[in-house]
Amino acid sequence: MRSTMPVRLGPAEDSLIAQLKSAGADAVAERITVAGLPTRRVESYHYTDLKALLRAVPPLAGAANAANPPSLAVPGAYVLTIVNGRVQAAGAVPAGLIVGKTEGGVLSTRDDTLVGINNGLASEALSLSVENGVDTVIQIDRRIEGEAAHAVDALKIFVADGASVTILETFSGSDAAHMGNHATYMALGKNSAVTHVTLDLSPSKSSHFATNEYRLADGARLRTLVIHAGAALARTQLFPILAGAGAHADIGGLNLASDGQHLDITMESHHAVPHTSSQPLFKSITRGRSKAVVQGKLVVDRDAQKTDAKFMHQGLMLSDEAEILSKPELEIYADDVVCGHGSTCGKLDEDWMFYLLSRGIPQAEAETMLVRGFIAEVLDPIEDEALNEALNTVVDGWLLSGK
Amino acid sequence: MTTPILEIRNLHARIEDREILKGVNLTIPAGQVHAVMGRNGSGKSTLSYVLAGKEDYEITEGEILLNGESILDMEPAERATAGIFLAFQYPIEIPGVATMTFLKAAMNAQRKARGEGELSTPDFMRAMKEAGSLLNIDSDMLKRPLNVGFSGGEKKRAEIMQMALLKPTLCVLDETDSGLDIDALQVVAKGVNGLRADNRSMLVITHYQRLLNHIVPDVVHVFSDGRIVESGDKDLALQLEARGYADFDGQAA
Amino acid sequence: MDYDIPTLKENIDRETVESVLALDVDKYKYGFETDIESEVAPVGLTEDTIRLISTKKDEPQWMLDWRLDAFRRWQTMDEPSWAKVHYPKIDFQAISYYAAPKAFKGPKSLDEVDPELLRTYEKLGIPLSEQAILAGVEGAGEPKTPYSGNVAVDAVFDSVSVVTTFRAELAKVGIIFCSISEAIREHPELVQKYLASVVPVSDNYFATLNSAVFTDGSFVYIPKGVRCPMELSTYFRINEKNTGQFERTLIIAEPDSYVSYLEGCTAPTRDENQLHAAVVELIALDNAEIKYSTVQNWYPGDKDGKGGIYNFVTKRGDCRGRNSKISWTQVETGSAITWKYPSCILRGDGSQGEFYSIAISNGYQQIDSGTKMIHLGKNTSSRIISKGIAAGFSDNTYRGQVSAHAKATNARNFTQCDSLLIGDKCGAHTVPYIESRNGTAVFEHEATTSKISDDQMFYCQARGLDEEEAVALIVNGFVREVLQHLPMEFMVESQKLIAISLEGSVG
Repeated sequence: MRSTMPVRLGPAEDSLIAQLKSAGADAVAERITVAGLPTRRVESYHYTDLKALLRAVPPLAGAANAANPPSLAVPGAYVLTIVNGRVQAAGAVPAGLIVGKTEGGVLSTRDDTLVGINNGLASEALSLSVENGVDTVIQIDRRIEGEAAHAVDALKIFVADGASVTILETFSGSDAAHMGNHATYMALGKNSAVTHVTLDLSPSKSSHFATNEYRLADGARLRTLVIHAGAALARTQLFPILAGAGAHADIGGLNLASDGQHLDITMESHHAVPHTSSQPLFKSITRGRSKAVVQGKLVVDRDAQKTDAKFMHQGLMLSDEAEILSKPELEIYADDVVCGHGSTCGKLDEDWMFYLLSRGIPQAEAETMLVRGFIAEVLDPIEDEALNEALNTVVDGWLLSGK
Repeated sequence: MTTPILEIRNLHARIEDREILKGVNLTIPAGQVHAVMGRNGSGKSTLSYVLAGKEDYEITEGEILLNGESILDMEPAERATAGIFLAFQYPIEIPGVATMTFLKAAMNAQRKARGEGELSTPDFMRAMKEAGSLLNIDSDMLKRPLNVGFSGGEKKRAEIMQMALLKPTLCVLDETDSGLDIDALQVVAKGVNGLRADNRSMLVITHYQRLLNHIVPDVVHVFSDGRIVESGDKDLALQLEARGYADFDGQAA
Repeated sequence: MDYDIPTLKENIDRETVESVLALDVDKYKYGFETDIESEVAPVGLTEDTIRLISTKKDEPQWMLDWRLDAFRRWQTMDEPSWAKVHYPKIDFQAISYYAAPKAFKGPKSLDEVDPELLRTYEKLGIPLSEQAILAGVEGAGEPKTPYSGNVAVDAVFDSVSVVTTFRAELAKVGIIFCSISEAIREHPELVQKYLASVVPVSDNYFATLNSAVFTDGSFVYIPKGVRCPMELSTYFRINEKNTGQFERTLIIAEPDSYVSYLEGCTAPTRDENQLHAAVVELIALDNAEIKYSTVQNWYPGDKDGKGGIYNFVTKRGDCRGRNSKISWTQVETGSAITWKYPSCILRGDGSQGEFYSIAISNGYQQIDSGTKMIHLGKNTSSRIISKGIAAGFSDNTYRGQVSAHAKATNARNFTQCDSLLIGDKCGAHTVPYIESRNGTAVFEHEATTSKISDDQMFYCQARGLDEEEAVALIVNGFVREVLQHLPMEFMVESQKLIAISLEGSVG
């Protein structure tokens, strides 16, 4: 093959390279120097061309104070805060939970630029250890405050064998063109049960990147829900590894895309051992000139017999100018499996609409009702009532905010 | 003479290039129950959709009057608030929308259109309980998403319950007996009969005479190839059952 | 989602059972080599090679210029690497780009063709004869092979078309069916108007290479309002060693016309890999319909993965006219590597595209195949049914794209991709790109991967079938939905082919 021309680097790449070098992350810096930010030619960024979308990277975030209340109030939740990449002091810790701080770089190394940047720049990580059943919802409020800043933070969670917990992460900040790169690594012990919700409420000019990596031991049960309701550009990467027999993951996601937004949920779920199951379910709603992306790959290893995995993405287009782009993938090396995926895309069902209208419900109300119904499937399984209600409030706010 | 609740005059309707209704004339005075019988594909269901205002159908000729007012220019929601209720042959399943939420929205929308205030929650619950008990529908069923996972009988009972709650002036029942066993049929018929009133008319569309043993009509019409070809009293239904539809084919009204 | 593969009841019909039971034991029965004196160009690829091809073909200057332009572009391009296939780097300088039977002196009538060639085609089950029944004439008995009966054949042997049957018959209704070389000489206005109008010269690496060095292929022109009275087909045979085959096919259907076209291909058993890089372009104008069926049976390599054809093909149809329709049906069983995405550009309002595919990989075969449905016009619709079967050590990937352009109001797509894995050393992959840029578009995509159920196997075995027969039977049921879209004569042949392809996949 002919030698490829060197990549021309833009200001975003120049800033990133400088930031990485200043943090001693030379390998990642070198990689961006050679290849640039991923373009659409990189399969996993096919619909989110970072080179084209990221024109500038703000300076690395300095310390800021955390006086603001959490961006989403969940009654009874225990709140921990990370501001501009720095872990804030914790209050009285609920029973069964140990809160600490470790070094940054919580994600497993993989061929991914956002992961590389996070591992290279996250200086410290909030660490949580769930020792047994914790009833309180644990909320990690991750924020970027002050002038436009590039904030990189990390969270590491260990859930002990048989423990259970509900964790909410909220992302928000001051109204500026921030860039957030957030990492969460979670190890689920045997027969543990975790609900993990991440909700992006970043300000409208910012870029939000998050990577969630999960490792499930035997019999672990994970339920996740990603909600994109903020930022100009948001991408959440989900990397669950089902590494123990009987492990099950319900992976959920919701893109609520309004005019001007580009929202991307990218998942690669890895079934590594026999007898695991997963049910990823993602929904995208677009209105105005917006773009929603869902990529979901199910990888089944050669040994992972009896895997049962079903991926589904449903897109709902509320405007003619919006785009919904989806790439569900199967990569299967074991034969005794039941795997599948589905992807649908369209506008509101006309028969449903007619049914509601025929009962006298006006058009606009019927529409809202159907959109809520469309979303319900991903919100309803969140069992904690206060959390469920708070998430519904966010969705309602989006629905009522129009464009 | 008082104004009939429903008057259809020389109604022609088509879907895409196919004419389905070819000159329907039908008048239902207040308080009466009329049955329309016909074989599959004769256009009976089209008549029900056209009354409810489904977009897919184009009215090419004729008139539909509800209480003397034309409804042709009315949107489906307006028709509903004006008093038309269609009990669907195949009630639509809408995942994610709880039956209860839906009923409340529908009742309040109709009240609002009539200039009435919203129902209070206790009043709403009372109305639900009342209508539900009439049709053997418990509150668990009302918490489930609309028609999702309902059996055939449950769906039809839920339709009649909606009818009871919304108190329409014209009830259009499209093949309400299809998919029902005899017990379920009796429950549904009891519900319908309980709603018969002097100021309410019903149009019962059916394929079989069986339903008419339970909901006894004042007038029976035979529908064939897009129009009514014969009308009579309830005995006409028995004749149809005995002789089949073939005898009526090709007759002009 | 419903993962059931079709139930046994649907699967078992006597015909299938009989054809499965009557299977030949040899794995690749077209692997023989014809001993015929050939003229072969020296290996290597330079501008001189292209001049040689052009001279051999007696081409006009514009064609040579066009080829040279393509060659220069190709030299600036990189080989694509995105497909899920792995192979050693191809040495394009080690291939001969032209080979033709020595006695060959341009297209002839049937009685002038070298009898050795006729025997070769006979052995392949393709008697090159015009004795067989013509459309509408009965009484000559049942067709015995796919190519008997109402099929006109263009026989391409290495780099040249050796004969095209039924030409006179077809000319009566104004249909042109000849080799592309002849079309370049005889119908330059049509070729210049349509060549590369669907697959641009620099569309992709292999298409550009093809544009530079293509040797032969078929040309079909169906005039306005004509329904082609017989199936047209091209049969490709690679015979010489160290040669590549670069065919070019162009089919034009004028308004209100219809044609059904079949394509078959085989090659001798050889230890080294051979390259086949074809380009097929279809153009359907207003209300025209083109049905294109392929049974691809190039030599797949031996059980250890030695030898076999590298099949890098660009096939694309342009539904240029209103309410036009292009339907691709493919049965892919051969080749060491298949890289092929027969696609439809749905440009005309109301146009329709279809893709029905069976892709079977065994041994060390690698298949990366699928389709693209590009919705540009209003009210366009497309349908994709893909059945992939992976056995042995093979990798079988469906890669597809469905996209609705912002102006493609009411675009509709339905896609169903099912994969079946036989054995635990193979892989089945699905990579669809689903892109809706119009709020009124409705897309539905569904994919499943499973294995043959133990219950089905047990049922078949309880009725006396051995394991291999049972697999063939069940697989035939699995792919039935696609087989039905093949022309009648091809169906039975394809069923047998499927069974042969899967030999050795169990036990």
